[in-house]
Amino acid sequence: MNLKWLIRSQSIMTLAAGMIYPYYLLFLKNLGNSFSKYGLAFAVFTISSAAVSHWLAPRLDKHGVCMMIVSSLGMMGAMLVFPWTSSYGWVLLLQLLMGTCNAMQRMSERVLLADYTEPGSRGAGIGSYHFWTSVASGFAVILGGFLIDWLTINILFYLSALLYGTSAWTIWRTNRPAVPRAKEGSVSEHNVL
Amino acid sequence: MLLLLASLAFVQYVRTSSSDQNPYLMTDYSRLHPVKVERVLQGEAEAQLIGLVKDAKAKGLKLSIAGQRHSQGGHTYYKDAVVVDMTSYNQVLSVDPEAKRIVVQAGATWEDVQKAVNPYGLSVKTMQSLNVFTIGGSISINAHGRDIRNGSLIKSVESFRLLTAGGDIIQVSRTENAELFPLALGGYGLFGIILDVTLILTEDEVYRESTVLMNLEEYSDYFQNEVLPNPDIRLHIARISVAEDSYFKEAFSKNYTVDRSLKLSDHNKLKSNDNWVAPGKLLFNINRSTDWGKNAQWNLQKHFFVEQSDKIVSRNNAMRAASAFMEYSQPGANDLLQEYFIPLPQFDAFVQRLGAIVKEEDMNLLNITIRYVNKDDEAVLSYAKQDMLALVCLFHAPLSKAGQQRMKQGVERIINEVIASEGSYYLPYIAYPTLEQFRNVYPGYEYFFAKKKDYDPDELFMNYFYEQYGG
Repeated sequence: MNLKWLIRSQSIMTLAAGMIYPYYLLFLKNLGNSFSKYGLAFAVFTISSAAVSHWLAPRLDKHGVCMMIVSSLGMMGAMLVFPWTSSYGWVLLLQLLMGTCNAMQRMSERVLLADYTEPGSRGAGIGSYHFWTSVASGFAVILGGFLIDWLTINILFYLSALLYGTSAWTIWRTNRPAVPRAKEGSVSEHNVL
Repeated sequence: MLLLLASLAFVQYVRTSSSDQNPYLMTDYSRLHPVKVERVLQGEAEAQLIGLVKDAKAKGLKLSIAGQRHSQGGHTYYKDAVVVDMTSYNQVLSVDPEAKRIVVQAGATWEDVQKAVNPYGLSVKTMQSLNVFTIGGSISINAHGRDIRNGSLIKSVESFRLLTAGGDIIQVSRTENAELFPLALGGYGLFGIILDVTLILTEDEVYRESTVLMNLEEYSDYFQNEVLPNPDIRLHIARISVAEDSYFKEAFSKNYTVDRSLKLSDHNKLKSNDNWVAPGKLLFNINRSTDWGKNAQWNLQKHFFVEQSDKIVSRNNAMRAASAFMEYSQPGANDLLQEYFIPLPQFDAFVQRLGAIVKEEDMNLLNITIRYVNKDDEAVLSYAKQDMLALVCLFHAPLSKAGQQRMKQGVERIINEVIASEGSYYLPYIAYPTLEQFRNVYPGYEYFFAKKKDYDPDELFMNYFYEQYGG
């Protein structure tokens, strides 16, 4: 994989996240009658995100790409399950899962960004990364609102799951170890790793 | 790419900039006439509400009372008024299974009531088809529904407590403060804040659903000869086709007949009817915009309902129809309800006139359902002056001035036919009918508004219904 593919996969990931995130907040607020309860759901998310970071940290350098895939797959699972949750306990469990995925994604994203850029010349790459992920997020939010008006928030969860799956597949595809069958042009991509 | 995103955002800005989308303005389910209100206050406790009434009186503020705000004629808010949102005042206070009574705070919904009474094998006598409405709102509009044996809602109300404009809490029943009973019930929030209500319940039962497809012209005979005389049919609803291919020609009738061979306990687990919302919503959206969609919707409904024939359902489950698929939040247009009550003998002729006017006026009619109400003229503003068939019409119309003017023109023509048929129309909806038409259909208006002035001389309880027709 190289920076170009990192940007592609993470733009798809932000498309998935951006599509659901603001509406997910509304969805959560409807579950709890108080803002405190709603706040708690988010605290659980940050706790799991912070808790797993120590365990993940030493494995980051070697397994960054793998973590990215697992993170997207985990989010895909969470998105598929969300419409079926029937209790606040389940929501907290999913918040735990999503916090873990968030840690994997955020940490490996930073490591891979560093890996694929050189000290002294990182600006352009990181700028491009930020541009594409932000733009993807913008499109996602607008599309998300439109889709809920026409369909339901549940459909949005499933679409988001599909995009998370696609993002995982994009990363996996550009990193599979099938070097012998790789074409000339793509060798350089594999060499980066 | 950024430019594309920015233009898309701009298009969305323009598309959603109509006043029905303004989050700082208050409106109701119609999204028409959004206005600024002083504030919205959540009803929580008796003392708080008494304080509010006294405070508003002292400051010369108006009060409007809101539940789920599903009425569509500005009954639940008023410019610069304090809106009392009663949905947070929603406790079930007691259930007495022996006496078949429930006491419930006004902001509770029918769903809350169903949850509370279902374990005792009890059920609501009369309510709307959907269970999302508050009890306070429902008795303020004197609702009715699929039950064809228990009249309109006023019949199943034993008493209620009312917070009056003077800041007093009084018990209102057919024996205590009896004058207020038929005024505040079906009083559209003009006589005070209804705090809690004692409702008379009935037994939950097991029904067998049956759906019969027929020509529309056969329907009223069918209803009078097959449905009404059969006491085991407890609930009934019918639907008229608005699809191009069978426009006002086909109808189907759905009856719920008691099946005594089945045990209630095997069928009375409360179920949500909101399954398959997304495809339903998509289809209904297509129904709004194309003739093709209307045909598809009708054919699917026929298939679906006939398929469902013979389904076993408890009364409580039958009284919680699906609604989520009909929700519509897109800017600039909305689904608007109208309801016309027609005496049985005049029904056939009226329906044909209705179909013709809708066509001539090019109104976008999404569906029509038929319900039945027994004569019940207890409420001063009663719609059931005789035994009536009620036609509930769901229109889709632009919220623009021109779009609304066209709706008004069509509805006024329909109301003229209603009047010619000795029928009536329902008041919770948009005030399209003229003042003259209103007075013609509701001859009790003079007494109603005179009493309003007696009980609330400062016009503390205020809404657009009163402004438009109370003058």
